[in-house]
Amino acid sequence: MSSLVWLMFALYICIESMRLPLGSWRDPGPGFLPVGSGIILGLLSGIVYLRARGSKSPEVKESWYSTERWKNLILVLAALFAYAIFLETLGFLLGTLLLLIFLFRGIEPQRWIVSIGGSALASFISYVVFELWLKTQLPKGILGF
Amino acid sequence: MDLLSNLQLAFSVIFQTGNLFFCFIGVLIGTLVGVLPGLGPVATISLLLPSTFHITPVSAIIMLAGIYYGAMYGGSTTSILVNIPGEAASVVTCLDGYQMARQGRAGPALGISAFGSFIAGTIAVIIIMLIAPPVAYFALKFGPPEYFSLMFLGLTVLTYLASGSMIKALMMACVGIYLGTIGTDIISGLERFTYGSYTLMDGLGLVPVIMGLFGISEVLVNIEQSLKRDIYETKISHLLPNLEDWKKSILPIIRGTFIGFFLGTLPGGGAVIASFGAYAVEKRICKHPEKFGSGAIEGVASPESANNAASQGAFIPLLTLGIPANVVMAILLGALMIQGIKPGPLLIKNHPDLFWGVIGSMYIGNLMLLILNLPLIGIWVKILKIPYPILFPLILLFCLIGSYSLNNNVVEMMIMILFGIVGYLMKKFAYEGAPLILAFVLSPLFENALRQSLIMSHGSFMIFLTRPISFIFFIASIFLLFSPLIPGLKKRPTG
Repeated sequence: MSSLVWLMFALYICIESMRLPLGSWRDPGPGFLPVGSGIILGLLSGIVYLRARGSKSPEVKESWYSTERWKNLILVLAALFAYAIFLETLGFLLGTLLLLIFLFRGIEPQRWIVSIGGSALASFISYVVFELWLKTQLPKGILGF
Repeated sequence: MDLLSNLQLAFSVIFQTGNLFFCFIGVLIGTLVGVLPGLGPVATISLLLPSTFHITPVSAIIMLAGIYYGAMYGGSTTSILVNIPGEAASVVTCLDGYQMARQGRAGPALGISAFGSFIAGTIAVIIIMLIAPPVAYFALKFGPPEYFSLMFLGLTVLTYLASGSMIKALMMACVGIYLGTIGTDIISGLERFTYGSYTLMDGLGLVPVIMGLFGISEVLVNIEQSLKRDIYETKISHLLPNLEDWKKSILPIIRGTFIGFFLGTLPGGGAVIASFGAYAVEKRICKHPEKFGSGAIEGVASPESANNAASQGAFIPLLTLGIPANVVMAILLGALMIQGIKPGPLLIKNHPDLFWGVIGSMYIGNLMLLILNLPLIGIWVKILKIPYPILFPLILLFCLIGSYSLNNNVVEMMIMILFGIVGYLMKKFAYEGAPLILAFVLSPLFENALRQSLIMSHGSFMIFLTRPISFIFFIASIFLLFSPLIPGLKKRPTG
C-alpha cells in the first residue's frame, strides 16, 4: 500500500508544478522537469499498486514495525525534534547534555554514572572540536554558552 | 615523460604537510566508520562535509576520498570477525571470511584482505593515471545532449542494479529528480516549491537529506531491534598469509582488481556491485566451487581487492566527466561545487594540483591503510565491542551537529529528521535510497542538459539519437530499462 502514498505524492508534484510556467518543447520552462518526474512517478506507483493487488497469494503480512520496541522510535524522534526546537534557547552545551542523558538513559538504560559522565564528556569534546577547532558557530543560548 | 612530470606533481602535492595530515585523518576515520556498523562512508562524508569548507579544496577532497577507500578496508574487519559487514561492499566478504575466522584463520583472512586491498589500490591508481587524461580529452567533445544521455544511463544502470524491485528504484529516481528541482530555478530565476522558506530558496541541502536517509534512518531501524553482537573471540595471530595462501590468492586479487575497477567506473556501479561481481567470477572459474562459502581464501581476496579498486575507479567519471558514478561520488561532487570547482573535462587542465594530488593521496593513503590495519587490528576489534546503546546517541549527535553547522540553521536539522523518518519508512517498505540521492544530486545538471538540448534542437527529442555518442548511451539505457520485459534476460538476484 506504500505505493498509494507515492501516488498521492506524484499528484501533489504534478498539481504544484502546473502552477509554474511549463514552457514549450522548444524552450522548456521551470515546471517542465518536475511535471515529467511527477507523471512518471505516478505511473510507476500505479503499476506497483496494481501488481500488489493482482498478486494472488495474499501473504500473511508481518507487522512492519516492531510491536514491542516501537516506543523507542517515538522516544528518539521526540527527543530529536525537541532538541531542534529548543537548541537555540538552551544553547549547545546544555541542550546536547540533556539530549545525550536522555538517549543513554531512556532507550536502553545505562548506569547513571555512564549516562551523565558519557554525556558530559561527549558534549564537551564535540564543543571543543566543532566550536573551538573547526570554528562552527554553535548556538549560544540564553545562558551564553 | 608527461606521465613522469605528472607523477612528480602528484607527490609534491601530497607531501605538503597539510595534505599528508588530512589524508591520514581521512583514512583513519574511514577505517573507523568501516569498522563500526551503522555509520557508513556515505553518512560520514556528508557529516564531515561542512568541516571541509575551512580547508583548501585539495586537502578537502583528499580527506573525503580517504574516508571512502578507508571504509572499504575497515568494512572487511567486521565481516570477517563478527559476520556483520561494516558497510555494504563487504557483505560478500562475510561468506568466506567469517568461516575462516571460525576455523581459527582470522589472521590470514584479515591479512589477505589488507594486502589484496593494497595491491588493488596500487594497480587502480596506475590505471587512473593512464586513462583519466585521454577520457577527459574525449569528454571535451561532449555537449548537453551527450551529458544528458550519460546521466540518464547512470541513473538507469543504478536502478537496474538495485537489489530490490527495479520499478521501485525508478520511482526513487523520480522522487530524487523532483527534490533536486526544489529551490530557485537557475534559468528563469523563479522559485519552485519553496513556499516562502528562506532555507529552501537555495534548494534542499544535500547534507541533511543524506544524513537523514542514511544516518538517522539506520539508527531508527536499529533501535527497534535489540542488537547483541557476538564477536568471535579468537586470538588473532599470524596476520601474514603463508606461501600457500599467497599462491591461491594472487590471481584472484589481480582479477578482482580489474573487474572491480571496470565496474567502479561504470556510472551507477560501485564497490558493492564490484565485490559481488568478483566473487561470482571466482566461484565460476574455480575448479572446486563447492569450497566457496566454507572458508576459501580466494573468496576473501577477490572481493576485497575488487571493492577497493572500484572505489578508486569511481573517481574517473567524477574527475573527468563531472558525473558521479555512485552516491559517495555524488557527495564529493557537491563538495567540489561548494569549493567553487566545477568537475568536468577541464578539471585536469585547470586544477592539475587537485587531480594529481588526489591520485597521489590514494597511493599514499593505501600505504597508510596497510600500516593502520595490520598492526592496529587489535584496537579496531576493541572499538567493535562498543555496545550499540552507547554508540547510537553519539551517531545521532554527529548528525545533528553536521546538519546544523552547514548554515547554522535549525530548519536544516528539522529537514534531516524528517528525511530520517522517510528513510526509515523506505527501508521498511524496501525502497532504496541510492537512486534517490544520485538523482537528487544529478537533477540540476540533468535539467540543464535537457533544457539546453531541447533549445538546441528546437524541441526535438531526436537530438539524443542523431549524435553518435549520445545515441550509444541512450540506446544502452533504453535496453536496460526494458530488459526485464525481454524473456530469457532475467535480472541477477544479487547486486
